[in-house]
Amino acid sequence: MNIVACVKQVPDTEAQIKVKPDGSGIEEGGIKWVMNPYDEFGVEEALRLKEKNGGEVTIVSVGPQRAMETIRTALAMGADKGIHICDPAFDGADAYVTASALAAAIKAVPFDIVFCGQRAIDDDSAQVGAVLAELLGIPQVTVVTKFEFTDGAVKVIRPIEGAQLLIECPLPCVVTAQKGLNEPRYASLPGIMKAKKKPVEVKDAAVLGVSTEGKAKVARFVPPPARAAGKIICGDGTPEGKAAELAKLLREEAKVI
Amino acid sequence: MANLILDPRDQRFVLYEMLNVEELCKAPLYADFSRDMFDMALNEAEKFAASAIFPALAEGDREGCRLEAGNVFVPKCYHRCMQIYREGGWGTMSVSPETGGQGFPHVISVAAKEWFSHNTAFVNYVSLTEGAAHLVEVYGTEVQKKKYLPKMHASEWGGTMALTEAGAGTDVGNLKTKAIRQPDGTFRLQGTKIFITAGDSDLMENIIHPVLARIEGDPPGTGGISIFLVPKYLINDDGTPGKRNDFTIGSLEEKMGLHGSATCTINLGDNGECCAELLGEERQGMKIMFQMMNGARIGVGIQSLSSASIAYLHALQYAKERLQGSSLMEMKNPAAPRVSIIQHPDVRRMLIWMKAHTEGFRALLYFAALCADRCLATDDEAEKDKYNGFLEVLTPICKAYCSDMGFRVTETAIQVYGGYGYCAEYPVEQFLRDEKIASIYEGTNGIQALDLVGRKLGLKKGMYFMNLLGEMGLTIAKYQPALPDLAPDVQAAMNILAETAMLFAASGKAGKFLIPVANAYPFLMLMGQVVTAWLLLWEAGVAKEKLAAPDGGGADKLFYEGKVATARYFIKHVLPEVDAAAKAIKSEDVSMMEIADEAFAS
Repeated sequence: MNIVACVKQVPDTEAQIKVKPDGSGIEEGGIKWVMNPYDEFGVEEALRLKEKNGGEVTIVSVGPQRAMETIRTALAMGADKGIHICDPAFDGADAYVTASALAAAIKAVPFDIVFCGQRAIDDDSAQVGAVLAELLGIPQVTVVTKFEFTDGAVKVIRPIEGAQLLIECPLPCVVTAQKGLNEPRYASLPGIMKAKKKPVEVKDAAVLGVSTEGKAKVARFVPPPARAAGKIICGDGTPEGKAAELAKLLREEAKVI
Repeated sequence: MANLILDPRDQRFVLYEMLNVEELCKAPLYADFSRDMFDMALNEAEKFAASAIFPALAEGDREGCRLEAGNVFVPKCYHRCMQIYREGGWGTMSVSPETGGQGFPHVISVAAKEWFSHNTAFVNYVSLTEGAAHLVEVYGTEVQKKKYLPKMHASEWGGTMALTEAGAGTDVGNLKTKAIRQPDGTFRLQGTKIFITAGDSDLMENIIHPVLARIEGDPPGTGGISIFLVPKYLINDDGTPGKRNDFTIGSLEEKMGLHGSATCTINLGDNGECCAELLGEERQGMKIMFQMMNGARIGVGIQSLSSASIAYLHALQYAKERLQGSSLMEMKNPAAPRVSIIQHPDVRRMLIWMKAHTEGFRALLYFAALCADRCLATDDEAEKDKYNGFLEVLTPICKAYCSDMGFRVTETAIQVYGGYGYCAEYPVEQFLRDEKIASIYEGTNGIQALDLVGRKLGLKKGMYFMNLLGEMGLTIAKYQPALPDLAPDVQAAMNILAETAMLFAASGKAGKFLIPVANAYPFLMLMGQVVTAWLLLWEAGVAKEKLAAPDGGGADKLFYEGKVATARYFIKHVLPEVDAAAKAIKSEDVSMMEIADEAFAS
């Protein structure tokens, strides 16, 4: 079975993010970079699928040179080879360009199934997996918390409000992973030793033959507004008085009712 | 920084900017490695520590160990840590690939262990296993290696270090456990061992105890001691664990800390059937065990570094968050806003004191590990001897200076927290309880001081010690131009260290051997301070170079300025203690010996 897992390198969830003074991006100095946690679920599921059914796991990532660390981490977890799409023209690429680059790279290799994270924790766009499936012309099952592969078909569970969907899907397809799907393994030391010798192809936009012209343009980065001080509702001290004041504030100040 | 275990920035600084450990990769022994592999391993260590080992720290302390029907059960949360440790291959990180390990340099495995060792209660189970496996690797017969090593290296079988008896702790030579020779060449042991760390557990399928005992008829004292391998379950011919060996776990100690670490009394051979195999040659037990002891002493240093680091970072975080009192500048204004306690000078004094010591320990332990690597990586006999000499002389400092001062760092963390720090609801009191043992086990700090003064200073007619002073002198000369206000202080302290060592040598020759013996411990601490000052000066010198670069240190400017300030604090505020210690030693006062036993109290 030919399994592909897409990964993105993102700032550590606990990194202190600072916006550059000119709003063109974030300050990258001192940031610790990690594999997008949702992608880790995808890699883990890909490895489990390989362990059960045999085959090969290929890691694909779009990112600057440092993204190689993340590909190597996935190889150290047990994936077999990597494709690093590395081109300064992809810096700040939007979801469409990223998905186009991934699609071009994936089309060039045999694949039966593609795993992605359901979103990346940096830009939170949650589009790449879906666009990728469209560009590859294959079905997609997204935000998956349980995955099974039996009798040549994929069965997944996708939570929705108040219920969950059980979806069956033929191969090839794109699966995007949600928290709860599995507990990703750690890279082992023997895995790290082996990872160095595993092949990683580096490709740029010209080789892939994709346009780097995006559909979306980032106007500027702004930090989220600082949280305003809370308000303690006293009313006249009675529960009824407090409730009345709360209702009044919700209507007149917050304007939500 | 995301965690409160250690500062990864400082770790990388010491490894790559101060010690240049990538240089090792040029040697054939480490040619398979590169910095990105070291970083990947350290990143995994960090993830493992933050997500499993640290959460098991407080839980393991609360739950503790149980002895039920002769079997020890460790805290439940240790099982997950053990599984990840095993699957990660951490147990053989710096074991050579020929023997089934990963072959990482020791300096990188020490850095990885720094992530784990704040939870020494858990780490004891695996580090003793690694030490015992190393004994088998070096001294075992081919049959023994085949029988035990693969399972011990896989962390499936455990190991311990069974030396101590009720009447033989520091005085190992006094041990009473006897080995009775059997016609088939094996032995049966009889005796009782106490204080055996990780003496039993449900973490491992089997446990292989290296046990010191005296073969019947062998002479008294340390020269008559042999070492034996005593498996918990005897090994079947197919390699699987078979019949339970004839020894029992008599009890577990109730301790001040390390509640998750099982401290066992082991009763050997109550039915005369405790099967044991000789390891190495007869009557070589002490020499063999010392190999494990030396590694374990560095391990105690790592424990102390980790305890200090986690205590410092917790105190720092608390000091930034805790509001109390107003700014000194607004002392007389009762309406002045409350400020975080890090604004108060005395709290800052405690924090920088903790920072200086913690970072000094880190530099020392990584440097010591790098010496071991350099020793292995070179074929040049003179270079091997030089690095081996550094390691020999610094081992007692790593063990005793770091454990005593590390304990004080944990104590200072409680002081920063104030009353809350004394409460079990907050984590810092556990750091202190868990760290206290470090000055006692693996040879008390008093014994370390005697080892330093009585043995290490005089090795190769004092050449090893002189070489270390020479190395310090090179650093001082190198950074004198960049740090003209600090380098001379370190030089002066180094001169005092050399003079005091000479005084000891002269006292010994003049028959006044009480001077070096009774002052061995103050001397060790004095030397620890000089060594720390040297390493912090080195760090400050590197930081100065970075600050002088065209980008002025870039995004790390404050980090580098912090390194310089820390070195300055230590050299100006702590290093002068060396003068006082030397003055006391030079006085040749031996009142501790002159006072009558009966005069200590009426």
